[in-house]
Amino acid sequence: MNFPFLTLITFIPLLGAVVVALIPGRREREIKLVAVLFSVPSLVLSLIAWLLYAQNAGEIKFLEEATWIPTLNAYYRVGVDGISLPLVFLTTLLTTLSLFYSSYTIKKRVKEFFALFLLLETGMIGVFVALDLVLFYIFWEVGLVPMFLLIGIWGQPQDRPQYSAIKFFLYTLVGSVAMLLAFIAIYMTTGTWNILQIPGLKPLAGNPGLAIAAFWAIFLAFAIKVPSWPFHTWLPDAHTAAPTAGSVVLAGVLLKLGGYGMIRILLPFFPDLFKQFAPWIGVLALISMIYGALVSMAQWDLKRLIAYSSVSHMGFFMLGLVAAAASLEVANPVLTSRAIALNGAVLQMFNHGIITGGLFFLVGVIYERTHTRDLKAFGGLSAKMPVYYGVMLTTALASLGLPGLAGFISEFMVFRGAFALIPTYAIIGVVAIVLGAAYILWKIVQHVFLGEFSEERWQEIFNPAHWHFSLDMARFEVITMAPLLFFMVLVGIYPAPVLNVINAATTALLAML
Amino acid sequence: MLIEFIPVLVLFALATAIAVIALVLPAFLGPRRPSRAKIETYESGKLPYGDARYKVPIGYYKIALLFVIFDLEVIFFYPWAVVLRQLHVFGLIEMGIFTALLVVGYVYEWKKGGFEME
Amino acid sequence: MRPQLPTLDLVPLYPLLVVTGWAVLVLLADLFVQHKRALGYLALTGVIVAAVVTVALWPGVPTSFQNMAISDGQALFFNLVFLVTGALGLLVAIEYLERKDLQRGEYYALLMFSLAGMIAMAAAEDLLIVFLGLEMMSVALYVLSGSNQRDMSSIEAAMKYFILGSFASAFFLYGIALTYAAAGSTNLAQIGSWLSGRGIPKDPVALTGLSLLLVGFGFKVALVPFHWWTPDVYQGAPTSVTAFMSVGAKAAGFATLTRVLYSAFSPTFTTDWVTVAAVLAAVTMTFGNLAALVQRDVKRLLGYSSIAHAGYVLVGIAAASPVGVRGMLFYILAYAFMTAGAFAVACAVERREQSTTTLADYAGLAQRSPLLAAAMLLFMLSLIGIPPLIGFWSKLFVFRAAVEANLAWLAVLGVLNSALSAYYYAGVVVQMYLREPGRSPAEEVAFRPWRSALAVAVFLAAAATVVLGLWPGAVVNLLMGV
Repeated sequence: MNFPFLTLITFIPLLGAVVVALIPGRREREIKLVAVLFSVPSLVLSLIAWLLYAQNAGEIKFLEEATWIPTLNAYYRVGVDGISLPLVFLTTLLTTLSLFYSSYTIKKRVKEFFALFLLLETGMIGVFVALDLVLFYIFWEVGLVPMFLLIGIWGQPQDRPQYSAIKFFLYTLVGSVAMLLAFIAIYMTTGTWNILQIPGLKPLAGNPGLAIAAFWAIFLAFAIKVPSWPFHTWLPDAHTAAPTAGSVVLAGVLLKLGGYGMIRILLPFFPDLFKQFAPWIGVLALISMIYGALVSMAQWDLKRLIAYSSVSHMGFFMLGLVAAAASLEVANPVLTSRAIALNGAVLQMFNHGIITGGLFFLVGVIYERTHTRDLKAFGGLSAKMPVYYGVMLTTALASLGLPGLAGFISEFMVFRGAFALIPTYAIIGVVAIVLGAAYILWKIVQHVFLGEFSEERWQEIFNPAHWHFSLDMARFEVITMAPLLFFMVLVGIYPAPVLNVINAATTALLAML
Repeated sequence: MLIEFIPVLVLFALATAIAVIALVLPAFLGPRRPSRAKIETYESGKLPYGDARYKVPIGYYKIALLFVIFDLEVIFFYPWAVVLRQLHVFGLIEMGIFTALLVVGYVYEWKKGGFEME
Repeated sequence: MRPQLPTLDLVPLYPLLVVTGWAVLVLLADLFVQHKRALGYLALTGVIVAAVVTVALWPGVPTSFQNMAISDGQALFFNLVFLVTGALGLLVAIEYLERKDLQRGEYYALLMFSLAGMIAMAAAEDLLIVFLGLEMMSVALYVLSGSNQRDMSSIEAAMKYFILGSFASAFFLYGIALTYAAAGSTNLAQIGSWLSGRGIPKDPVALTGLSLLLVGFGFKVALVPFHWWTPDVYQGAPTSVTAFMSVGAKAAGFATLTRVLYSAFSPTFTTDWVTVAAVLAAVTMTFGNLAALVQRDVKRLLGYSSIAHAGYVLVGIAAASPVGVRGMLFYILAYAFMTAGAFAVACAVERREQSTTTLADYAGLAQRSPLLAAAMLLFMLSLIGIPPLIGFWSKLFVFRAAVEANLAWLAVLGVLNSALSAYYYAGVVVQMYLREPGRSPAEEVAFRPWRSALAVAVFLAAAATVVLGLWPGAVVNLLMGV
């Protein structure tokens, strides 16, 4: 494959950012148009790449390699397999939708917003495609600054955006510097930064103490990003403060960077240690799931509620990962359970990106109209905004795992794998599903859409002067949500196109460990 | 290991001891007959006058600095003059550069008004 | 009888001679030129000529000048760092002095003289040349710090710098004297061979000399606990001077420190100075960053940040390996661009009647002057060590060297410190990007590249931060020849 798919997918947004930066700031229409247009090629190319990727091959495809810094032995090396490809596609999809949505809703400092968002896209895609630790780390950090500014500048003033932005920045940075040290230690023993080669070289095998330190250092970086309890506290602040598009990408993609890192780096590099510590990580996963769900249930701020639900749902992902890792040396028959658990975990990331991304868009819908997210202020909106009700209900049900929608498939697979391998954890974990149903039905559906509609209260929160589109979902909002709904239903009914790609890669990964 | 530092320690001890002895011993041994002349400020034999914190006009400092520079020049000239013949042209060029640099400083001082006494 | 005259090999001195000669030229031109601004450009030409000479001598002159000075790869690399700093310092000063009504010819001549001192230090093969260069550099910098006579804090800075600097010089001289007493020579190579050739493994006199030399260097490059003058001087001195000396003086100090430690006190005393350097590095970065956390004044903040960075540089020295030295060299180059650039931005933001800038002055800079803010953003991120900017690679290189040298604890501490430093650097970014502007845009220097010298300086530094960050191999290849 000579066509540089991945380089183009990764760097076209960067080019777009530069072009946007060169347009005079007052030409806002042109800026918005250019930004959206520059995000489309990556989306199209990633879709083509997915279709071209031979479904039953588990290996890395679209590999590109070039010497970069010879003395450091660092290469420009990118490639994708079935684990990263869906996530690349997820990134390009959510970014394009976010840019499209933002071109209607962002009013201040337009040029900076779109330039930063495109830069962010490059950083996020880069993490998923990088196969060299130095390159991985660079992309990991590149996304950090644009997100910091997105939260800080365009955040809602009442949510302390500056505090949230700095908190997000510092949390991530602490994790990533620890990770960098671990990478250096790994490089010292293996002499390479190549993510594909290092597992075979058994990094730090001769020095168990250092290996454990490196393992936890890398785990910390990824656990902060996922986020796993107790490193999650940046998340509700950041998600709540960020502008709608920022929250979408935060929940939809940035959290996946951590999950992807665990699968791509932590598990293959240290399979034995992962197995050894799996019980502990499993406990963290359970706490994240149940604690996240409980706190979610206690929220009265719609956006914060969804933010905490992310903690819970990413806990499902971790449970699947732990299940796959906890039984590394068990004989073959269990391999299928392991593969199911890991497939479920990867699919859970993809689904969570689609569903929670959608939920944040939908919070944006109501927030743009009323400038409040207080659940007590709503009620009975199903009659006032029927389309919105339908879309929100579908997305929310997908989130709680209704069969026939995307969330069910991945949660089912995670628990199917976990019951076979780590039954105790699975039994406790099921509680989170029940709680998930509770907060979604009770808090979101009940408080926003059902109950009594009060015209008086509505007049209080809805100011027509702020809103120039139709009261129910406007056309641009429907267009934004349509692809997401399509994938929720598609994966829910016929997950094979996604799962086949994932399965080939996870099987190859598990076979290698 | 630490034994190597004994000489340093001895040196410190000796230095301290000498200083202490020089200060303390005279206080016990020497006769003390203070008189007016003895406790007055010592000014190299001159009779002291005025306040010690007397402000000297800045012009004097400038002259003093210039003096130091040319004084040094002379010090360099003496040994050079002694071996001038042996040093030959090389010596002449070297001293030429040295003098030229001093002249630069001199011209600079002059043009900047360094010789104006108000 | 004619004495045997030495044949002088002046080639290793070419960069030094060019800069010194040019400094004299600027000094003389000052007498006849009315527009002092032109002198700035004259000096800049000299710096460029010296840079050309330096590059022409690459990769080093094999001969040495009377065993006194040498232009090897390391010296030439440092020359480039000094000359880049000098060029940035001049570009900044031309604009800044005009705005502050401080335009004087001496400024440029003094800057050139201190540059000459730095070059002498980097080239020195003898402790006496080190001292000569040190004084030449320092005296010029003392005067430059006080060049704003109307401002009390500038005078205070000059006074403090002078007194503490002289104090440091005294320590340094005493160190030279004791080293000479122990080794019978002031030539670095001869000291090295004498000390390692002795039967007694560790001569206590030499060890005392080494410690005193370290104290002297500690003052000059502002290592904790010899750093107390730094924040006051950096804050009080005119910002254009700070931009130049925060980089130049430090780089020169490290240039000589490396040479003294590596050639005079190795291998006999290696374990001793490695321990000391490692501890000093740890203390310096930690203290520098902690103190910077609470600063409200940007110049002071950058002052403490420069202390912290001296600690990171010292990590490379403590590694005591060629990898460590290369890491250190890379770090200093990176530091030159980042810090000089950041101070250049501080020059642009500073108001006419102020002598410092508080964090509040940066509020909303992104809206008042987007390019200036973008440049400052780059410098701050690079100082934190965010890839792919140049600061990331410099940290990666020194920390890698530390890990290789079994100083993993130092690398861990350094990395933690980087995370700590993110807080205050991010604070500047917060002011620039997240706060609303507090004053009108007209007060900033109109930031138009190619129209103002200051803007050119900011642009060059920012460009280097990015370009060398994307392609660090360019510098690394250069360093492999050192």
